[in-house]
Amino acid sequence: MTSSPSDTETHDGGAQETEAPEHPLQGFADRVAEAVGGSPEIQFDTVKVRIPAEGWVAAHQTARDDLDLVFFSWLSAIDWSNQVEAGDPLSEEVEERIELMTALSNVTDGDLVVMSTDLSHESPTIPSLVDVYAGADWHEREAYEMFGIQFAGHPNLIHLYLPDAFVGNPLRKSYPLLSREVKPWPGAVDVEAMPGRNGSDEPSTENPEA
Amino acid sequence: MTLDADTIRHMSETSVSIELETEDMTLNIGPQHPSTHGVLRLVARVDGERCFDVRPVIGYMHRGYEKLSEVRTYPQITTIVNRIDWVSGYANEVPFIVAAEKLMELEVPERAQYIRLILTEMARISSHLVFNASYPLELGAATPLFFALRERERVLDLLESVTGGRFHPNFNRIGGVKPAYASGSQTRKLAQDLPAGFLQETRDAMDKVLTAVDELEDLVAGNEIILARTKGVGVLPPEVAVAYGVSGPNLRASGVAFDLRKTEDYLPYDRFDFDVITGENGDCWDRWHVRLQEIRESVKIIQQAVDSIPSGDLQAKVPKVIKVPKGQTYVRAENPKGEMGYYLVSDGGNGPYRLKIRSASFSNISILPWILEGILVPDIIAVMGSLDFVLGDVDR
Repeated sequence: MTSSPSDTETHDGGAQETEAPEHPLQGFADRVAEAVGGSPEIQFDTVKVRIPAEGWVAAHQTARDDLDLVFFSWLSAIDWSNQVEAGDPLSEEVEERIELMTALSNVTDGDLVVMSTDLSHESPTIPSLVDVYAGADWHEREAYEMFGIQFAGHPNLIHLYLPDAFVGNPLRKSYPLLSREVKPWPGAVDVEAMPGRNGSDEPSTENPEA
Repeated sequence: MTLDADTIRHMSETSVSIELETEDMTLNIGPQHPSTHGVLRLVARVDGERCFDVRPVIGYMHRGYEKLSEVRTYPQITTIVNRIDWVSGYANEVPFIVAAEKLMELEVPERAQYIRLILTEMARISSHLVFNASYPLELGAATPLFFALRERERVLDLLESVTGGRFHPNFNRIGGVKPAYASGSQTRKLAQDLPAGFLQETRDAMDKVLTAVDELEDLVAGNEIILARTKGVGVLPPEVAVAYGVSGPNLRASGVAFDLRKTEDYLPYDRFDFDVITGENGDCWDRWHVRLQEIRESVKIIQQAVDSIPSGDLQAKVPKVIKVPKGQTYVRAENPKGEMGYYLVSDGGNGPYRLKIRSASFSNISILPWILEGILVPDIIAVMGSLDFVLGDVDR
């Protein structure tokens, strides 16, 4: 997401004042960002810290050891792409990239941070987190098959869900939803009119018995 | 009787290396196996009765929900997400709906929030009762199954009376819950609320569930065979559990008092008095016992909620066509199996640009290679059963 700090402020607390009150998570966000060397943003009560790809493993090491973020919740990615084969295209053009994210939390008061970094769209490569968080193993295998991200140093980077011979990265936006190529989704149009539609609470005339 | 894991490993190494010349063999367990709760395959290297290097093979049920969500509208996605963990389908809907509501900055009426909370706790009770039915059965005790399933039926009947569905309620709407229709009529909103007598029926049912939980505890906790098969078996230390992202009752059984109902605000849990149940040793026994006791806590929450449920609307005002403004958020909830969360990325359209589904069982069974290392083949069943996973929640 291309949001700058200025447009995230308006979401805080939904307050109408021009000067938005500081978000209760702002202190936590700043503390994490400073320790791992990233920039914080808060969107809808979710703390995200953007860090450069070079500092990916070191940042997670710091988060685990110094910030007590010991709980590895998940790792996944977003394909920011202008060429969208399945679903709606983005409303405005973006810089094409793969955004890799992990969610880390502590197990005391539930503070959670989403670590995020940008990888190249053509050949995304990043060192593996398996040595820092053992749970990253399966999540990285999933991101590898779904987005084509190479995790250097991963002990067993093979397909997780998909058959071994599967070609392609299904969660890439350029990957079409194949069943819909063959047959358009029948639910796109209502086959018959539902009673009481168009906002009226009146029973429809098609079914006077009801 | 209760050998710890290290002693067992040591004994095995001694006997294997000194007394016997054995050869490893590869044992393929599953994908069709009653104890796998779906289709999970394990490839294990077996040396005598001990297994090493266990590799789970998953994906037999991968339905591509994350991709599918990108071509669906928000109201359509609730039908998808309640099929993730079908044993507690209702609970899966809530964090997704809350994530969408967060981006839309909607204020959900209190009554709707209470209904969500009551039904979520009912889903938890029913999920834990399924566990309490199947786990002793996997260990050879058939009787608890009938006690637990009888009570689960009570709870599912209540869920059905409100939502119309037992497994896939599809009851949440962005901004509230689905208005109930008078039975038999698709068109007239005669009863725009909980069914008549629901609150009293819930109170009665909860009393019966409490009695049954005591019976279940008597039945299982006094069973020497079950004690022998679960105490000290499959010990999961807290620091390993958190590194793998193991959550929910599995994490609490290892002594970590972490419950998202206490830390997150997706439902008004802070108004109710309940305890976070933890175990001491993190073995199979603790995982069973934590879930049994959590039923009592859920009953406590439901009893308080039905007594204090406010009156009012069931739906906030929402536009006819739901469009969610641009933004990203992560909402997670304490589901019966553990942390269930949705990272929702919206571009302002009527469907998400990206929906990352964090399901509890996926992380919970990623612990299998670690926890099954060096244990006896029959204990595989005891350990896997105690983790209480559902393959739909693993594969998504």
